[in-house]
Amino acid sequence: MTDGVVRYATPKLGGYVVLTALGLLASLIFARPELAAVSAPFVVLLAIGLAVSRRPDVRVYVEVDRDRLLEGDEVLLEIELDARDSAPRLELLVEVPHELELLSGANPIALRLGLGEERRLELRFRCTHWGAPRLGDLHLRAGDAAGLLVWEQTLERGSVLRVYPRPEELRQLVGPRETQLFTGNRVSRAKGEGLEFADLREFAPGDRIRRINWRASARRGELWVNEFHAERNADVILFLDSFVDARRADRGTLDEAVRAAATLTERYLLEKDRVGLVNFGGVLNWLRPGTGLVQRYRIVEALLNTEITLSYAWKEIDVLPRGTLPPKALVLALTPLLDDRAIGALLDLRARGFDLVIVEVSPLPYAETPPGELGELAFRLWKLRREGRRFQYERAGAPVVEWREGESLTSVLEGVNASRRHARARA
Amino acid sequence: MAVALYGTFAADRLAWLVLALGLTGAALLTYALASVNAGSIVSGLVGVAASWSLSAWTRGTGAPGGTVLAAVGIFVAAELAYWSLEQKSVPDEGELVARRAAGLALRGCGALVLVACVLAALGLRPGGGLILETVGVAAVVGLLAIVLVLARAVYEAER
Repeated sequence: MTDGVVRYATPKLGGYVVLTALGLLASLIFARPELAAVSAPFVVLLAIGLAVSRRPDVRVYVEVDRDRLLEGDEVLLEIELDARDSAPRLELLVEVPHELELLSGANPIALRLGLGEERRLELRFRCTHWGAPRLGDLHLRAGDAAGLLVWEQTLERGSVLRVYPRPEELRQLVGPRETQLFTGNRVSRAKGEGLEFADLREFAPGDRIRRINWRASARRGELWVNEFHAERNADVILFLDSFVDARRADRGTLDEAVRAAATLTERYLLEKDRVGLVNFGGVLNWLRPGTGLVQRYRIVEALLNTEITLSYAWKEIDVLPRGTLPPKALVLALTPLLDDRAIGALLDLRARGFDLVIVEVSPLPYAETPPGELGELAFRLWKLRREGRRFQYERAGAPVVEWREGESLTSVLEGVNASRRHARARA
Repeated sequence: MAVALYGTFAADRLAWLVLALGLTGAALLTYALASVNAGSIVSGLVGVAASWSLSAWTRGTGAPGGTVLAAVGIFVAAELAYWSLEQKSVPDEGELVARRAAGLALRGCGALVLVACVLAALGLRPGGGLILETVGVAAVVGLLAIVLVLARAVYEAER
């Protein structure tokens, strides 16, 4: 404990001074010397305690065993205390961010360190929530032997952890209507080099011999060749609505949306698609589409910094720079459909011809019916209005699937695919 | 509480007032510990000390019997009360509790010796016969021991 140390008197010091003063005063006023004798232990303790008290010299080293984790992982914080001078009572408190939960070890703890003693404390935490929590900031409070004076110090030795959302198991993804030009794992509607059979056509000069369909050629008396669907990739834009968050305790719509976005990012990138991110909220944030592991980390890092920032500024989709939303991209929106700016932006995207799919992270589990008849009526009207919005999107050709708390993302995406198949069949 | 009850039984008159003062002090002390209120500890201890002083006053001049024990009782009660308050915020680990308990016992003994010495120095004979004579002798030995310990501590600190 060296820099930024604050020394102050404990309530005990004040109390003993008052008791001593009262005892001696009463002794004088009532001429009772035995009252002075009663005060004597307090006087002696104050005198000796203050005379021998000195600032403890304790060196503190903090170490976190790793800084990149997944939700549910455990992290070990090691604190090493090296007493250059004895500390009769040392209180130690580690600041625990809300994303972490203490599993083992005592926090706070009060201990004694003898001269030259070294102690190693281990605190094990579980990451309960994604984010970028800072772990390792300490508050130290050392008292003297008599408990009359204390020295306090805050040590900012913390390191920022990266707690990534744990990806959910996904059995299928929402396929884009249009593919891009680059090679990928998606079967394109266009014909070209690929494995998936598309059609037969007459042989033309330049066709490869291996493409000839001998059975069809024998039946028709002339050469026919197989045609295949090209295998292409797609551009997927994850549109995260971070204007508003419906929340209760440690769960909220934004948490679910971020977890889903991380899962979708991982899966689409595995399919060799290009994935981009638009974080549409009080603070606008975007990442141009890209592929590979680096893009995955870029997106997840951007997601970790997602937070609700209150803003009254009206934002439209025009504020996004060119290239963020490539033509024919599949826009997968994760939104609680609570803010008019996000709702308007999504309609605007659809109007511009983007393949839009809306996953509505339902705020209903976090909303309570207001008391009274009027409250109930207002709640019903609010739900009706939401229904109306959904209908508006569907009329514009953008399927909306409600994602309720506890439901798996796979079933939600299956719902989206079913809705798209149904729409195609109807068309 | 023991000090208050002792004062009540030993008082020659106004026993009810001694008891009322003592009980008020004890109640304030309990409230201070329950509500983690350091300010009330002083009030509680003052109440108990006032109860004992009133009891002593009813018994005439000179230090009444039990002065040494009452003084030590009040001192130990104060130490325990502030220790309890510390435990409410950050509990001590096992080793520290044992050390502090030993330290408190030592301080209690020291207080006993000190009060006996002070009373002897003031020429007051609180009564008690052989026991207090022994305490007087122990007080002198204790004082010498404290001086030695302090001298050693200062020497080590300087080194």
